[in-house]
Amino acid sequence: MWRPSGIDRSTATFIGLVLLSLVMVTIDLRASGEGLGGTLRDGVQTAFTPVQKAATFVTRPVVGFFEGLSDLVGIRDENRRLRLQVADLERQLAETESLQRRVEELEEILAIEPPGELDTVAARVLATGPSDFDAIRLIDKGRRDGITVDMPVIDEGGLVGRVVAVTETSARVRLITDPTMRVAVRVERTGETGILTGRGGGLLQLEMFNTQAALIEGDLLVTADGRFPAGIPVARVTEKAEAEVGFSLITRAAPEAELSRVDYVKVLVFTSDQVGAPGSEEEEEPVQPPLENGGTETTVGTGTGPGTTLSP
Amino acid sequence: MKWRRTAVAVALVILGAALQTTLFVRLRPFGASPALALLITLAVTRHLGRVPSLLVGFSTGLLLDLLSESALGLWALVLTTVAFATVRLRRRFEDDVTLLVPGVFLISFAALAMYALLGTIFGEQTLADAQVVRKMLLPAVYNVILTPLVLPPITRLIGERGGRPGWDL
Repeated sequence: MWRPSGIDRSTATFIGLVLLSLVMVTIDLRASGEGLGGTLRDGVQTAFTPVQKAATFVTRPVVGFFEGLSDLVGIRDENRRLRLQVADLERQLAETESLQRRVEELEEILAIEPPGELDTVAARVLATGPSDFDAIRLIDKGRRDGITVDMPVIDEGGLVGRVVAVTETSARVRLITDPTMRVAVRVERTGETGILTGRGGGLLQLEMFNTQAALIEGDLLVTADGRFPAGIPVARVTEKAEAEVGFSLITRAAPEAELSRVDYVKVLVFTSDQVGAPGSEEEEEPVQPPLENGGTETTVGTGTGPGTTLSP
Repeated sequence: MKWRRTAVAVALVILGAALQTTLFVRLRPFGASPALALLITLAVTRHLGRVPSLLVGFSTGLLLDLLSESALGLWALVLTTVAFATVRLRRRFEDDVTLLVPGVFLISFAALAMYALLGTIFGEQTLADAQVVRKMLLPAVYNVILTPLVLPPITRLIGERGGRPGWDL
């Protein structure tokens, strides 16, 4: 084989492999993850899932041991915090029960059909992405369990993410902390809307559209996005909002789901087609967020309205 | 013999990818995890021939690409570069073992920085990550900590016993 003098075989191979990698990146980006790349991903993920299941089975006790050690450090404070939380939740439960009875009475008087419950599929987290930059989780349920792309995923705290790829036996979930994820939310206390954007991990960025919106620390943010059922807890405001020269309010919020230690999740059998189906709330005008963060498609709406698809 | 070593190397990188994706789902001290697959690639390519080392790096990267949602070829490019750097530097590591630890740190850090930069160029928004420095620095530090646990067993499995025949390929 011809090669320029001075370049040894390994350097020529290196250059060849680099070029091949760049060609693959270009082809995969042009195909938007579909095509041959998508097929290969599905095939390899299907073949690799049993290996990951076996590795999870073997490593779980080791992980449990280290987790137990780290938990010991703050167990006393955690206990005190949980006792306070239980007392608060008991009070809230009593209030909610009373409100629930009133709602049922009013529904009966007004002959309103109560909203139907969504089906869920419980799944276990099998694996994560190959680096800390991948805010994805692999779950052990897939197409044959009724899971499809775009379904919302929650844990006992709130929204975890949404399904972005499915094989027969597994599915990949993109976490809400991913920088490409944007979720339209509503402040439960005031009804004001905004957009939550992932920052790779830790806290999320909340952008409110109304500069007069009053945000206080601890405000709960719930979904108000056409892609998810309305009202799922997403995050809680952690910092007082500061106005950004006349356009919006930007602050930080902590995810309600325990994303760093998520083990079991529920996939909501919900697609955006279900928006406006019987049982959903009355449609409202969608909110138009400012266009930014190029390339990320965001569907926004309030309540369970259909929302508007924005393609910056 | 050469084939046996290559087969063991392939088995090791598959094991590395499996452990990388499963062991660190919840075990993430300070919000980061070791770049184990990268470390195993580095350890394996210390002992294989030059061209097989590059092919192992490329294949490991391709496997990671297929297990992630990043553009196909990004990890392949990064780990091929890791293999190339290791092949070029390994004689120095042999001559002065004290260079191995800083070498592991620098190669791991540079590889993750390269991934972050390429990811941003190709639209993955990796540099938009608020914890980008932490996600490059901590895995490199963890790799240094894991070096005594990972490199010697791999040397025992596929390392040369007397002479370095694979190196001249």
